[in-house]
Amino acid sequence: MTDTHCPYCSLQCGMTLQRRGPVLEVQARPAFPVNEGALCRKGWTAAGLRGHRERLTTPLVRDPATSELRAAGWDEALDLVAERVRALQDESGADAVAVFGGGGLTNEKAYLLGKLARVALGTSQVDYNGRWCMSSAATAGNRAFGIDRGLPFPLADVERADVVVLVGSNLAETMPPAARHLDRLRERGGRVIVVDPRRTPTAERADLHLQPVPGTDLPVALGLLHLLVAAGAVDDAYVAARTTGWEEVRGAVIGWWPERVERVSGVPVAELTELARLVGRAERVMVLTARGAEQHSQGTATVLAWIDVALALGMVGKDGAGYGCLTGQGNGQGGREHGQKADQLPGYRMIDDPAARAHVADVWGVDPDSLPGAGRSAYELLDALGTPGGPRALLVHGSNPAVSAPRATHVTQRLAALDLLVVADIVLSETAALADVVLPVTEWAEETGTMTNLEGRVVLRERAVAPPEGVRSDLEVYAGLAARLGCTAAFPTDPEAAFEELRRASAGGRADYAGITYDRIRAEDGVFWPCPAEDHPGTPRLFAESFATADGRARFVAVDHVGAAEQPDDDYPLHLTTGRVLGQYQSGAQTRRVRDLPDTGPFVELHPMLAARVGARDGEPVVVTTRRGELKAPARVVGTIRPDTVFVPFHWVGANRLTNDALDPSSRMPEFKVCAAQVRA
Amino acid sequence: MSRERVVVVGAGMAAVRFAQELADRPGAPEVVVLGDERHAPYNRILLSAVLEGTHDPGALAMPVPAGVDLRLDARVVEVHRAQREVELADRSRLGYDRLVLATGSIPTLPPIRGLVKVDGRLDDRVHAFRSLDDCRRLAAAVAATTGPVPASAVVVGGGLLGLQVARALAVRGLRTEVVEGGEHLLRSQVGPAAGAILARDLARLGTTSYTGARAVRLTDDGLRLDNGVTLETDLVVLTAGGRPSTALARRAGLEVRRGVVVDHRLRTSDPLVHAIGDCAETEDADGRRRTTGFVPPAWEQAGVLAALLAGEDATYDGSRVVARLRATGLDVAVLGEPERAEGEVVEVSNPVTGSHRRLVVRDGRIVAATLVGDLARVGLITQHFDRGTVLGLTEPSDLLMVDRPTRPARLPDDAEVCACAGVSAGRVRGCSSLAEVRDTTRATTGCGGCAETVRTLLATRPLQGVPS
Repeated sequence: MTDTHCPYCSLQCGMTLQRRGPVLEVQARPAFPVNEGALCRKGWTAAGLRGHRERLTTPLVRDPATSELRAAGWDEALDLVAERVRALQDESGADAVAVFGGGGLTNEKAYLLGKLARVALGTSQVDYNGRWCMSSAATAGNRAFGIDRGLPFPLADVERADVVVLVGSNLAETMPPAARHLDRLRERGGRVIVVDPRRTPTAERADLHLQPVPGTDLPVALGLLHLLVAAGAVDDAYVAARTTGWEEVRGAVIGWWPERVERVSGVPVAELTELARLVGRAERVMVLTARGAEQHSQGTATVLAWIDVALALGMVGKDGAGYGCLTGQGNGQGGREHGQKADQLPGYRMIDDPAARAHVADVWGVDPDSLPGAGRSAYELLDALGTPGGPRALLVHGSNPAVSAPRATHVTQRLAALDLLVVADIVLSETAALADVVLPVTEWAEETGTMTNLEGRVVLRERAVAPPEGVRSDLEVYAGLAARLGCTAAFPTDPEAAFEELRRASAGGRADYAGITYDRIRAEDGVFWPCPAEDHPGTPRLFAESFATADGRARFVAVDHVGAAEQPDDDYPLHLTTGRVLGQYQSGAQTRRVRDLPDTGPFVELHPMLAARVGARDGEPVVVTTRRGELKAPARVVGTIRPDTVFVPFHWVGANRLTNDALDPSSRMPEFKVCAAQVRA
Repeated sequence: MSRERVVVVGAGMAAVRFAQELADRPGAPEVVVLGDERHAPYNRILLSAVLEGTHDPGALAMPVPAGVDLRLDARVVEVHRAQREVELADRSRLGYDRLVLATGSIPTLPPIRGLVKVDGRLDDRVHAFRSLDDCRRLAAAVAATTGPVPASAVVVGGGLLGLQVARALAVRGLRTEVVEGGEHLLRSQVGPAAGAILARDLARLGTTSYTGARAVRLTDDGLRLDNGVTLETDLVVLTAGGRPSTALARRAGLEVRRGVVVDHRLRTSDPLVHAIGDCAETEDADGRRRTTGFVPPAWEQAGVLAALLAGEDATYDGSRVVARLRATGLDVAVLGEPERAEGEVVEVSNPVTGSHRRLVVRDGRIVAATLVGDLARVGLITQHFDRGTVLGLTEPSDLLMVDRPTRPARLPDDAEVCACAGVSAGRVRGCSSLAEVRDTTRATTGCGGCAETVRTLLATRPLQGVPS
């Protein structure tokens, strides 16, 4: 019996693994507070990759003679990687080698992957797919509160709110056990409001559903603020005591009267008015954003506008109220705190801060000046691969960008233009299939490590079974590479030793883990950062007294609506949006291979009115085209989507061949959630 | 060399927007905004909401960027184009490199005898409704009428503003009547059928409207109409339209027709003088000249002019107009010109429920629409209108029909009831208790959303093992 956590989303549901002969069985773990024993089908079937015939158990190397991947020994594979890396760096400089990480990697891996890049490879070119997850909310949180933690309170606080506004979250499908908290809130008489272009299962259980045009959550927030100002619902005492910048926001929203918002967003005035009525008179309002609001070229501005709503109502820091981001990937939170992000060092330190560099360099035993500066963001990094001045080699850990990157056909071409692509994965993902070297690594039940869930709660995944023969842990891969590159800095292969080092590296940083130990996590059902000392209780709730800004006040930020980078026109008259389905996870490299999960393939959701217009029939193929690509998939004709919008799930190859690579100017988040498209039967 | 100076005459919606747009741009010139009111700029279109009480008066102030030189109570009396100067009421002068006329419109005073007293001032009962001062004065008059018997008001003019003011006064508790000289309400925007339905909606809300009737005389008895009726009233509010404020331009020798004539680059007959907003007469892409009374076109013009003055390339070729009535209990949206636009008309009218919806469709695109009484699809129809979406053959009529979702009475066995665990109704029916469902299918163990359906399925499950 091993108490651990689900391998998938940021909820990090507690579960217990039980070995029964060769079978690994998932059991409920009711004592863990976040999910109280509940799991969705992804969690229940999480052991389905154990012993899977597609599991990689030997390194693969592309044979120059046949251009095919062939089995190789670990020494051969790692020697080859080290040798090619050195040659390319000798020729083109340290930045010729890049590293691409993932939001599913444990804190220990994320931390050491960043260290591998900065110390062993000496490259500035390191970023990760979390940039495509909640970077807009992270940027907005830092601007407004001086700190970025998904939820600044435990998830169960949702139950104590009077009104919860979910902006662009379909948590009933993407993190089903979380929906239990919403149901309890409603049983108490609280209200749930969902803002989403689709009437999702989450919207179905809401009291009010606003269905804006994709890319217009921002003007909806501005219109809501307008009505709150008009109704005198702004908490002036709170605004005066705990914030700055309100006057500019107040002035900006005077120009967003409800009829103007209706015209831009497609949300009827009556619904916006009802939203304002519900939140304006509630004692405790909680605003939660997710990818629907954040994956836009104005994602940061959109989140800031919704934070402005929460601040204007005086909710941030109040018990059972406030603003939070429902993070996406399993370790989306921790993954960005410890150094695999292009501009950050462990502990959420900024790489351009001399004090931060000195602290981390000291822990690593290197000269601060030897640390590279900030590198390219995730999409910009991929876009530069194999270009003059761009990286010539890429090491990918815990990511499948050939499926998950926007404008995926272009990204696949960039990957193909590399001199060296190295992918560490558990199966031959679409990205691994393009690689020159594939390294088979352990999966979640075979290794120990910490994850930081959406609440900022650091949890411990414990090893339940031994990995198959021939498989190594990511930490062993880093250590093997570092040694071959002649790096003398420590690369511990024991996860707890890695975590001990991470604690020291994060000490004094914004995301301070110094007081967190494996034993405390086991004893306390996880520990919330910041936790600067072992006798510190951790911090389940932030902002009750002050914000993490220089003056302790939250910042209102005035933002305006610009709109999606690509607007419909005569050739591409529709909005395309993308998202998830319950039975699959992210690029599907794991879940598509789990037998008990439905692998339906991609589909195209469209409204009956649109289906009639283009002659599409339910179940029959349609072709979706954008300026970047084309996808043929069966139509699903549903009345739950806006008639001017089509939806494609992104777990399969294809959806991201369509999506737009326009980036948010500050978070560098690509605009996954909207672009212009055409559909034909 | 000093920065170029742009002087804006007027501090209304168009002027403030222009100043914001220009000030936001790098290398912006010096901008001076001259407002003739004593109030800082405010959002004029929300005045009726303030009167109605849905908007706090403090919520109207429009911000002016820090770099803009805003001067209040600064009425421009003359433009000296030869000297490139404007002259203010205090006879001081201000030079300009570029002049922007954003003088707005002035309310039309209808030909009603007795409106103006012998001393030249309006009768105390008479109110205009254009400025913040008008709004405050009217609100004060409304407040002063509280007594055991509700006070009464007559709104002259049954256009958008008139209906908004009428509803605001009614919401504030006044017995309110509307007088409209045309044959039906909202005659500039909608047809007779929609107007009639609107009149009925208004009557249902307690406000009588008199159409095809002109107010001719205000006496101590009340407001007399040309059909012989005299409406007793404590207040008369004039909302019978406005006209572009062009006196300044005319005196300056600029070309003026209905409004100050501008070209596609918003230049008047003097290339250094521009005009935007309600005072300007612009030219559409098809050559049609028009003036506007709406904010969105004024703001589009402001954006275009700011771009042009910042050295960018831009033209103004007309706007799509969406007129929305802002009044509690009355639902009206007018897109484009539904009574004038050419095209095929798809119309659904239901006087019984008080709804009238009309789409004018040309080449598959919605070129105009009227929606009265039912705005369920206003957001979507506006999107189609604004984006020029080419619709399918049945789509216009589908858009006017209401969705009636139906649910099957009994879930078929293959219907999925638990998405979290992928469990069908049939599998639940095969279990005898909630505990069995949980243990064997894992239904209800995820998000919990199916718990009620599962309980119902178990409760209504056909009895098994009992001989029939």
